[in-house]
Amino acid sequence: MDFTINSEVVDKVAKITLSGELDSLSARVFQKEIEKVALQSPTELVLDMEHLAFMSSAGLRVLIFSKQKMGVGLTIYVVKPQEAIVDTLEKTGLQHSVNIVDQYPA
Amino acid sequence: MELKTFPATVDSLDPLRQYVKDVSQQAGLDKKATYNLILAVDEIATNIILYGYEKAGLEGFIDVLTEVSDNRLKVVFEDDAAPFDPTTRELPDEEDFDLPLEERPIGGLGIYLTINGVSEFSYEYINNRNRNIFEVDIKSP
Repeated sequence: MDFTINSEVVDKVAKITLSGELDSLSARVFQKEIEKVALQSPTELVLDMEHLAFMSSAGLRVLIFSKQKMGVGLTIYVVKPQEAIVDTLEKTGLQHSVNIVDQYPA
Repeated sequence: MELKTFPATVDSLDPLRQYVKDVSQQAGLDKKATYNLILAVDEIATNIILYGYEKAGLEGFIDVLTEVSDNRLKVVFEDDAAPFDPTTRELPDEEDFDLPLEERPIGGLGIYLTINGVSEFSYEYINNRNRNIFEVDIKSP
């Protein structure tokens, strides 16, 4: 399944839409996108995962990397992740580092 | 056992996941168990490809053997790269990431998801081949 990614930064809110499957290969693309939005020093990172079918540990590492890159003050929102991805975030304790929401803005 | 062979390159990750998904569905695994198995095989396949082959400058194949029996699905990955037991080594993060020391636990995330995603995960080195074995109980509906 092809991976696609789009991003935009408006008023310090970086929104990244992820679709398809996020594995080690596509995680490299995700990381590049994070580096790109980081240049604008956003305070909020909104990850739209509604159309993300799969996320491996590589995807988790980019999530962690994003917090490092953009500072501990960064608030991360994960929008409409599928249940299996929520499970992964919970199993690894990462659900404490992100806000899982049905929509953004709330 | 059924056998399908994939080149040990990152381009194989997607077809390999799809193949294991098809086998899982045929075996009657539920959605959650299938997803967790895919997560596990993707992790191990990635490690074999990146560390066993690409970073070692080798080319080769991963043999994927599958078998359904006694309400259990067994998937075995066999490869000819250098011996590598994922259960004993904490894998380094991909070298592009510049993570500080306190991130070290993160290095084991993938293996943690692998071991906890299947009923049983084991490794053995036999006949000069790495064998990564995933076993999943097929729950009755």
